[in-house]
Order: sequence, then C-alpha cells, then structure tokens
Amino acid sequence: MTRPRTQARNTRWLDEAKGDLMTADNPGSGGGPDDEAGVTEAATLLSDVTRLRREARSARHAYWLPLVLFGGLTCASVPFYIEPMATCRAAARLVGPGHGGAARHSGCAGSTSAPFVPGFGGFLRQGWQGYLAVYWLASIAAGLAVTYLWYRRRGRQVGLVTPARGFLITGLVVSVLALVLATAGLLPGDLTIRGTLPFLIIAAGLWTLARAERSGALLVVAALYTAVALLASLYNIENVLFRLGWNPSPGQWQLTSLPNVLLPAFVLLAAGIAAFLAQRRTRRTA
Amino acid sequence: MSAPEHPTNGLDETVHQRHRLGILTIAAEAESADFGYLRDALGLTPGNLSRHLSVLEEAGLIQVWKGYQGRRPRTWVRITGQGRSALAAEIAALTKLLRRHGQAKPG
Repeated sequence: MTRPRTQARNTRWLDEAKGDLMTADNPGSGGGPDDEAGVTEAATLLSDVTRLRREARSARHAYWLPLVLFGGLTCASVPFYIEPMATCRAAARLVGPGHGGAARHSGCAGSTSAPFVPGFGGFLRQGWQGYLAVYWLASIAAGLAVTYLWYRRRGRQVGLVTPARGFLITGLVVSVLALVLATAGLLPGDLTIRGTLPFLIIAAGLWTLARAERSGALLVVAALYTAVALLASLYNIENVLFRLGWNPSPGQWQLTSLPNVLLPAFVLLAAGIAAFLAQRRTRRTA
Repeated sequence: MSAPEHPTNGLDETVHQRHRLGILTIAAEAESADFGYLRDALGLTPGNLSRHLSVLEEAGLIQVWKGYQGRRPRTWVRITGQGRSALAAEIAALTKLLRRHGQAKPG
C-alpha cells in the first residue's frame, strides 16, 4: 500500500529514527542529525498536543453557569431558613443536635401542610419552612436539568461537547441515595438537622463536573465548597459571628441560621462570577 | 542482556502525523468534536481534514457521524477506546524519546 505524500513527509523522521536504531551500535546515544531532527519534531508534536488541549479545554469550559445557578438557588432558599419563631431554635438547642424528632415534639413541627421529606428539610417544619425540602428537591432536579441542557447547547455552539451526563446522573443518584439513607435513618442527624444536606449533593455534582471539564480551577472550587458545605452541615456558623461581636437583637434571632446558607452560596456565586469573567476574557483573547 | 527498547518503536504511523495527532488530542478532550472546530483549530482545509478523518476512522480510532443543527448539517467526531489508547501510547513514546535524548546529551 502506498503512503499518501503528506503522510510520507510527516513520518519521514520516524523512518529515519527507526533506521538509525537498526544500524546504530548504541541506539540510545543520539546525537546524529536524523535523531536530532526526530527529537525536535517530537518536541514540536508534544508542544502542539499541549496547546490543542489547552485551547479545547478553554473553548468548552462553561462551568460558570452551574456555579451561579446553584449559588442563586441557594440564595433563593433563604426565606425557608428564616425561623418564624425564635423559640423553635431555642427548643432545638435544648434537646441538642441530632434530635430533630425531639425538637418536633417541642411544638416547632406539625403545623405545616408540607409533605415530610426525610433529610432535606432539617428539623424546623413550621409554616413555610416546612416546604424547604420540597424546594430543594425541585431546585436540584431543575438545576441538574438546566446544567445538562446548558452543556448540550454550549457544546453545539463551540463544536466541542462536554460529557455532562455524568453530572446529571451523579446528582440524581446522590439525591436518591440521600433520600433512601435518610428514610432508613442511616444518615447522621448532624448532616440533616440544619436542612443543609442539599449542599453536599451539590458538592458531589461539582466533583463530577470538575472531572468532566478537566478543570483544576473547578476542582479547587469543588474542594472549597465541599469543606464549606460540611462546615454548614455540622456547625452553627453564627457562633463565629457571635465571637466576632455580632449581638443579634430579638428580631434578628430569626436570621441566625442564615450564615450556614449564605456562606456556601457566596462560595458558589463568587467562583461562578470569577469563572464567567475569566472565561469571557479567554474567549476574547482567543 | 538485551538493549532497552527504543522509544520510536512505540510510535504508530497512523497516529504519528501532526494533524491526526491533533484530531485525536482534541477528540479526547470532549465527548464529541465538530468538524468545523477541528478544521479551524488545526488550520486545515475541509478536504484535508476529511482525508485525515478517513484514515483515523479506517483504523478504528474515531467514529464519524453526521447530524443536523436546525437545517445546518454538521459532522461530529468521537474518539474510540482504541483511539484513546493509541493517543496515550503516542504521547508516552514521544515523552520517552525526549527524556531519553535529554539524558543522552552531554551536560
């Protein structure tokens, strides 16, 4: 079979290098002009590979949208975390963390018509707060679908499709798993008592997305967000604010859950906006 | 004692061509790559790119299929498992060659 002319020209150094190998006494010594040409071409090829990879990743990076989207959804969830009665929180503190059931018996639960979704709504189920779980179930489903469609659309626009199916599947699987484990009572109460379990589901999605995007920056964001989501799930962040001097008035006690929501939201929004600006600048200079 | 294998033995002539290596590199970075993106990124004419795609497709390193975006026909390329292996082998061989040369150079 004859080799096309361009192919013959492009692989000539390879033949020469292989020829050298067959005749040279010490094939590893190098130093001949053909070997030098081969090494130079190898360096050029590797440099091309690096450049094309960088350009392709830069062209298809689009993770600013899921970051901003889930940051926005977290901000929109704030009303569900505002406590209608300060006494509910006090009651919960009295019975201690991980005893949501006891807190519900203290008069803070049972006064909502919202369906009970284990794990997703925290222990405070009074008035509109009871709909926190419904809000998050709907938001996670919508966020996953919008992100998936965003990547399909963006892929068609730039000509490089990011494998976003993994993000969708991971989000759905982790959500269902969380529901099943919470229903079976296998999730630690500390993870579910504050209604911040959805943050950990978002974190799992970010890890998958970072892998699909092959983005080191998104990997850093995923790690940071996971740390913040765990902190928000396991610790009352307002305690830090109290130590820093925040002395809430009686009316502000209703807002003391919000640092646990706003900090993860801030991480997502700040990272999303920074990514948007960086990705826009890259595309302009490309 | 046998001499260590020379890195060039790991080079595959189908992959070891600048543009075909470029096609595989880009295709490996995404679920699928559009003909137009490949053409622009590699600076090839449509005819040239088609020929390279045919070579890679015949070797089983990529899959090519046509679709539509609205009324606009588009050609998409997806790297196969064999293509990923071939790309990894090529890059490993090139890296090894460079490393070997670097070691052989007088200090």
